Amino acid sequence: MINAFSLSSTIKHGVLILGALIVLVPFYMMVSYSFKSPGEIERNTGGFFGSQELMVDERCVKLQDPNKDEVIALRSRFPGLGDDGVRKAFMAEVERDCSMIPVVFNYSKAFSQAPLLRYLINGVIVTVSIFLIQIIVALPAAFALSKLRFLGRETVFNIVILGLLIPVHAIALPLYIMLAKVGLVNTYAALIVPWTISVFGIFLMRQFFMTVPDDLIDAARMDGMSEYAIVWRVMLPTAIPALLAFAIFSVVAHWNDYFWPRIVITGDRSLFTPPLGLREFKGDADGSFYGPMMATATIIVTPLIVAFLIAQKRFIEGITLTGMK
Amino acid sequence: MTKALNHQRQTRSAWIMLSPALILMMVILILPIMIAFGLSFTNYGLGVKSVDFVGLENYERIFTRSTFKKMFTATVLYVIIVVPFSVGLGLGAALLIQSVQRGREFYKTIYFLPVMASLLAMAIVWEFMLHPTIGVLNETLQGGCDSTVIHGLLTGSWYGADPLTSWYGDKCANGFPLWLGDRDYALWTICFIGIWQSFGFNMVLYLAGLTSVPKDLYHAAEMDGASSAWERFRLITWPMLGPTTVFVVTITVIRSFQVFDTVEAIFPDSGGPGKTAYVMMFAIYEKGIKQNLLGTGAAITVIFLMFVIAVTLIQRWFIDRKTHYA
Repeated sequence: MINAFSLSSTIKHGVLILGALIVLVPFYMMVSYSFKSPGEIERNTGGFFGSQELMVDERCVKLQDPNKDEVIALRSRFPGLGDDGVRKAFMAEVERDCSMIPVVFNYSKAFSQAPLLRYLINGVIVTVSIFLIQIIVALPAAFALSKLRFLGRETVFNIVILGLLIPVHAIALPLYIMLAKVGLVNTYAALIVPWTISVFGIFLMRQFFMTVPDDLIDAARMDGMSEYAIVWRVMLPTAIPALLAFAIFSVVAHWNDYFWPRIVITGDRSLFTPPLGLREFKGDADGSFYGPMMATATIIVTPLIVAFLIAQKRFIEGITLTGMK
Repeated sequence: MTKALNHQRQTRSAWIMLSPALILMMVILILPIMIAFGLSFTNYGLGVKSVDFVGLENYERIFTRSTFKKMFTATVLYVIIVVPFSVGLGLGAALLIQSVQRGREFYKTIYFLPVMASLLAMAIVWEFMLHPTIGVLNETLQGGCDSTVIHGLLTGSWYGADPLTSWYGDKCANGFPLWLGDRDYALWTICFIGIWQSFGFNMVLYLAGLTSVPKDLYHAAEMDGASSAWERFRLITWPMLGPTTVFVVTITVIRSFQVFDTVEAIFPDSGGPGKTAYVMMFAIYEKGIKQNLLGTGAAITVIFLMFVIAVTLIQRWFIDRKTHYA
C-alpha cells in the first residue's frame, strides 16, 4: 500500500485537481460576479466577495430626479434654499436612499428588474406538470406492456423502441406549426404538451415492472381490484425508486431546457421559464447589469445543484438512466 | 373466472391503458415527422396565403447555397471535435478516479456539476470570462506574460527557442485572441464549452461500465505477463468497455448534433463570426421560426432526422455485431 502514496498517485491527484479547477472556475466566477459591483467586475478586482463598499444605483437616482413642478412641491421640505439648492438637497437624500452594498444591489435587481420570481414559479409549474402527465400516461402503458397478455404486445413494444430514436427537439419545427395552427403558442400548454409522452419513461417503467412478481398482481386480482387500481395501488408503490430516478431525469431536463421554450414562447414575459428569463436579461443588459445578470444565473442554477449535492447518488442514477437503453 | 374471459378482460384493459400513450405518440412524434416531410417540398409559411409545391427546391438550396455549406461545416466540425474529447476525457477521468484511493466521490461530484447546471446560464458565464478586454481568461494570460518564469516556460525561451515562434509568445507580443469574436477561434470555443459541460456525464457512464469489469480478469492477465498498466488497459479494460463506449459515443454524437443553447446565447443574430458556428438547430430556429421560411426549416429538419437515425442504426449494428460472438 505504500505505493498508493507514490509519485504516480500524486500525479494522478494533480491531474484530477487541475481538471476539477477548470470545471469549477465558471461556477466560482458566476457566484463571485453576483457579489461584486460593476466597477469591480470590469476591473477584475475585489477577490471573491468584492469589497462590498456602498455603491449608488445610478438608475434609481435618475428615476427620482425631480422636474420643475416636483422641485416646487419640494420647496416646503427644504425651506430657505433656492430651486437649485432644493434639487441638490433632495438628490443628496435620494443618493443616500439609492446606495446599497453590491451583493444586495445585484440580488434585489435580479428580482426587481425582471419578474424572476414569476419565471421560477413557471419553471416549477412546467416541470411538475410535465412529470405528472408523463407518469399518468406512461405507467398504465408500461403495465400493459409488461404484465398483460394480449395480441399485438410485441408490435406496440417495437413501436416504443422506435420512438426512442426520435429526439423531440429535432421535430420542434413541425410541432411548433401544429401548436400555432390550434392557437396554443404562448401558453403553458405549449410548454408542456410535447413532453407529455415520454417513450423513454414507458420503456424504463416497463423494464422495471418486468421484475415485479406476477403473484403480487394475481393476488390483487383475486381481491377484485380493477387493472387500473392495480397500476396505482400495487405497481406504483413498488416502483418508487425507479420513479424517483425518472423524476430527477425529467425535472433536470425540463428545468434547464432552453430550446423549446425559446420557440413557443415569443414575447409574453409572464410565461417565461427561468432560462428564457436569463436570456432576456442578457439581451437588455448594459455593462452595469452584469452583476444582477450573474445573480439571476446563480439563482437559476442553484436549486438543482443544491438538490444534487444533497442526493448525489440518486441524481447520478437518474441522469444516467439513459444508459440503460 | 374462465381463462378465456380473463384473457378478454386483459386485452381490453391493455388497449385502454395503452391508448393515451399510443395516441400521444402518433400526434407528438409521428405526425410531426410526416408534416416536416410534406412541408419540405413546399414554400409554406405561417400566415402566408398561397402555398406552392416547389419540389426539391428547398433541398437543392440547402445543398448548394454557401450559408448551408457553412451550416454543415459547423455542425460536422462541432460533432467531430466534441465527441472524441468529451468521450476521451470522460474515460480518462473515470480511469483516474477509479485508480486513486481517496477522494473518488469528491472528484465525481465536481465533474458532474456542469451536467446539472443550465447550459444557457453557463454559456453566458463563459462568454463573460472569455470577453477579450474584461474577461478573466485574457487577463490571466496577459498576467503570465509579465512573469519571466511562466513566459519562459510557455514560450520555450528558457530552452533557447525564439519566444515569438510559440503561440503564447506571439500572443503576448501581439495581443490575445478575441475568442468568441474571432472566426478562427469561435467554433473551437463553443466546442470547448460543450466538452466542459458534457464529459462528466460520460465519466459517470464509464465509471458504471468499469465496475462491471471482473477483477479476476486483471489477475489472469497479469499471470499471462500483461504487467504494465497500458497492457492491462489495452487487453482487458478497453474491450470490456466496448458496449459502454458504443453507447457513450452514440449519445454524445446525438447530443452534439443538437447543440443550440451556447450558439443562440452567444451569437443570437449571426451564428458566429462569419457564420462559423451556424449549427443545424440554430439554422432550423433561424429559418423556420425567425424568418418564417417553414419549408426550408422543414427540409433541414428532415436532413437532421436522417443524421440522427443513421447514427442510431450504426450503433445498433455495432451492438448486434458485438452480441453475435459474445
